[in-house]
Amino acid sequence: MRRFVFTFFSIIISFILQTTLFRYIDFGGIVPNLLMILTSSYAFMRGDKSGMMVGFFCGILVDIFFGSYLGFYALIFMYIGFIIGKFNKIFYPEHILLPLVLIVTSDFIYGFICYVLLFMFRNKFDLDYYMIHVIIPEVVYTALAAIFIYPILNSMNTRIEDYEQRSAKKFV
Amino acid sequence: MSPVIKRGGDKFTLPSKYLLFILTILCTGLIAITFNTSVFNGSVNSVAATFVIPMQKGITTVSTYIKGLSDNLASIKALQDENAALRQKVDELTNENTGLEQDKYELTKLRELYSLDNQYSDYKKIGARIIAKDAGNWYHSFVIDKGTDNGVVVDMNVIAGGGLVGRITDAGPDWAKVQTIIADNSSVSATVLSASENLIATGDLELYNEGQIAFSKLVDEADKVTVGDKVVTSNISDKYLPGILIGYISTIEEDSNNLTKSGRITPVVDFEYMDEVLVIMQLKKTGE
Repeated sequence: MRRFVFTFFSIIISFILQTTLFRYIDFGGIVPNLLMILTSSYAFMRGDKSGMMVGFFCGILVDIFFGSYLGFYALIFMYIGFIIGKFNKIFYPEHILLPLVLIVTSDFIYGFICYVLLFMFRNKFDLDYYMIHVIIPEVVYTALAAIFIYPILNSMNTRIEDYEQRSAKKFV
Repeated sequence: MSPVIKRGGDKFTLPSKYLLFILTILCTGLIAITFNTSVFNGSVNSVAATFVIPMQKGITTVSTYIKGLSDNLASIKALQDENAALRQKVDELTNENTGLEQDKYELTKLRELYSLDNQYSDYKKIGARIIAKDAGNWYHSFVIDKGTDNGVVVDMNVIAGGGLVGRITDAGPDWAKVQTIIADNSSVSATVLSASENLIATGDLELYNEGQIAFSKLVDEADKVTVGDKVVTSNISDKYLPGILIGYISTIEEDSNNLTKSGRITPVVDFEYMDEVLVIMQLKKTGE
């Protein structure tokens, strides 16, 4: 229950920050993709199922406000969450470097999918331009934001896990 | 025990790949449905309005305030005030100028054939504040704090600083989504005032950083259109009201087919620093 509430609010807060506050401190019109940080972090810390669900809700939120079709971003976020979640079993989430690499990779993939589906299909083939002006800056800025956000999410996650283990012990 | 539903302890859990499969179908279904119809608009909008919009409003107010504070520290306040006043004056004059130029054009060319009785300065307008901008970096749409409760409906035109910003593409009770003309997926049918030739103005992400939009399909056999000419929305557009200033032609070149011309337009609206916009409370009548 506690976990659900925390996850729910972290999604809402990330979305709101991304669309409001970060729009004021953007670099050249580029904002970091907080929702992607959230999706990858949850997927990495909690596994594929959590990653998938968090991704789905992040995506649906973007769809409702800024997407042309409901479900488009949800699908992309969900699959990224699912795939990153597969790494949960292989690595430990305490060290910052690997999650950072995964977040950067997932944001890059997200940008690339967006380019292919939204731009390349409309005969806009200038990949270099979009790489240099949108995808790469977004990835860099997202990585910078992730350095600060991931430790917070990770410590909250550990705290909630402790709490859950304690309350589970009570019933044994 | 069925392979689909595993019993984990005493509660049912669904393996993640099945959940992924179900959600994928759900998403694909939603895409298909929203592609063809607009059944979800009402319900989804109200959910969003209860949770997200109030917080977005609050945070935007705070960040505008903080930004204002830091701006004050960085520069002299008096200068800012003066700038704002001057800018307002420029807006007014631009507005007036467009009106006047249109009057002139109307007088000389059309005399008494018809009269452009509804100029956009006469339309009823409502002010709105921008409370959120696009979550991604690909398109340029934003959310304003007025919605159907204030009479704002889909397809209403949005202006700021004497020029066209875009149009409403989605509206909830107290919010509305605006698609800007600089967004890569937007096209506007427009007219060059001096030559009264029509063209199509298209937003382009590649030109966005230079603060320009592209235009194409301009038929100009007599070479009347020159750099610096005013471009306004055309009479034949089915979403935009006629005569709203878009910008000025900055470059122009002949297409390879030798029939049409294309080039760039510098919009009058500064999309980077836009906090408040005006919604024109009148829809274009298309006779449908």
